[in-house]
Amino acid sequence: MTAVQASAPVRPPRRRTVRRWRGAVPVGSVVVAALAVLVWHICSGLTFVIPSPAATVRALVRDLGDPGYLQHLQYTLVGSFWAFVIAVAIGLALGLLLGGSRWASVIFEPLLVALNGVPKIVIYPILLPIFTLGLGSKIAMGALFALFPVMTNVTTGVRSIPAVYWKLARSVNCTRTQTLLHIVLPALRRPLLTGLRLAVSLALVGVVLGEFFATRFGLGRVVLQAYSVGNYADMMGSIILLIAISFVISLVLWAFERRVR
Amino acid sequence: MTTTAERRVPVRRSRRGSSEALYSTIATAGLLVLLVVVLQIGSVSGWWRSAILPAPSDVAVSAWHLFGTGQFWADVGRTTFEIAVSLLIGLSLGLLLALGFWKAPFLGRVLEPYLMAFYAVPLVLFYPVMIVVVGINAWAVIVLASVMALIPMAVNCWVGLAGIPPVYLKLARSVRCSPFQTLWRIALPAAAPFIMAGLRLGTVYALIGAIAMEFTTAQAGMGYRIRYLYEYYSTVEMYAYITVVLVVSMVLTGALVAAERAILARRGSR
Repeated sequence: MTAVQASAPVRPPRRRTVRRWRGAVPVGSVVVAALAVLVWHICSGLTFVIPSPAATVRALVRDLGDPGYLQHLQYTLVGSFWAFVIAVAIGLALGLLLGGSRWASVIFEPLLVALNGVPKIVIYPILLPIFTLGLGSKIAMGALFALFPVMTNVTTGVRSIPAVYWKLARSVNCTRTQTLLHIVLPALRRPLLTGLRLAVSLALVGVVLGEFFATRFGLGRVVLQAYSVGNYADMMGSIILLIAISFVISLVLWAFERRVR
Repeated sequence: MTTTAERRVPVRRSRRGSSEALYSTIATAGLLVLLVVVLQIGSVSGWWRSAILPAPSDVAVSAWHLFGTGQFWADVGRTTFEIAVSLLIGLSLGLLLALGFWKAPFLGRVLEPYLMAFYAVPLVLFYPVMIVVVGINAWAVIVLASVMALIPMAVNCWVGLAGIPPVYLKLARSVRCSPFQTLWRIALPAAAPFIMAGLRLGTVYALIGAIAMEFTTAQAGMGYRIRYLYEYYSTVEMYAYITVVLVVSMVLTGALVAAERAILARRGSR
């Protein structure tokens, strides 16, 4: 149903034409990327506020050699990692509850679905005094961003487990833990992986937005500082680095997800 | 025998569905009331400092005063303008793009990795670049929020259009539909559930993105005002703004989900 689309972005269709164009498609995609860089380069020549691709790469390479910068990077990555872990734990628990219990879903689902559509950033000022100004509030923000795709995917995943699986569990007298570990979780691996993949970029964005706000460390602060002093090449470099990190992790998870059948 | 069974099942299901919907509504209302009551009791009896979490009654009074101020409506207007323009641009371009991919699959295949990549890429992070290029104004938000609305719309519509049973299009050809008629009377209705899903996701993404960007840096708008009030320790007013944003976006999400279900239900009954 639609809940699947809500959480897992639908995959574009595979059609017969693919076979005919198989060789040309990757070439076309690379051409598009090259065109984008070219357009970026041309735009950077038109106005001084856009750093050229070469200048951005130079700035990024220089930054990556700077131990101070690496500390900011580490801070952001550690925050995102914990945000991700917490989001997965809470999302999985809520998803199992909503998918497994009819009453839980009747009572809590409307509110949780509605919360999914809320700009969670507005809750940040509420989280700040609770989780302190340090890493805690960033982790809370990232976890809040990332837990919803995990939750919705697990919920629909549990609901679409074939009835015969449950019957099997009962017929071999599985305990609840056994059912969860040996039947439910293996059956959930694909929706769970989809949720994890979507959670990666959301955890990162939650943490970085938190760092935009009030912090002493983190790449979010680096970006904002570079912006305020007009150092646009450094700003662009950090943004590209963040985007590349979340892109590569998502890509790896996506490849893994497609192999798990 | 089978026909009666088939006929009965949907009736039974819908009855159970409607009673569950009723329980859901009651439970949701109950939970919200419970939340407000706990917050009220907690802050009045000093479980936490009211400077951190003010009593809902104070927030309600503050919200009531806000509704009379020009400042509040200026912020609402700014955010509404940004989101409306983004949706107009993003959703219509998304649909056009999907139509293009449908008609020219090669183009779709070439751009597919980039469309999928946008799900993995935190677009909000481009906002500092946008304010450098466009300036700190509504258009910096609109450009990115449009892209955020465009992507789910394009992908969902594309999937919907590509999944139309070929016999529908053959029918269109055999009754000599014009291309416009084929599109309007056959293709779009056939893909309607996916288009609705795209509309809903696009709207939610644009809303979340626009407010997040305003929150980061802006000169006006709901997101900006919440941050401004936070920095000036106007806690009660800040909570009033937060409540307005939460309520409006929850109602909007709820309405979109309901519209989508209604369309699906109508198709199911036909």
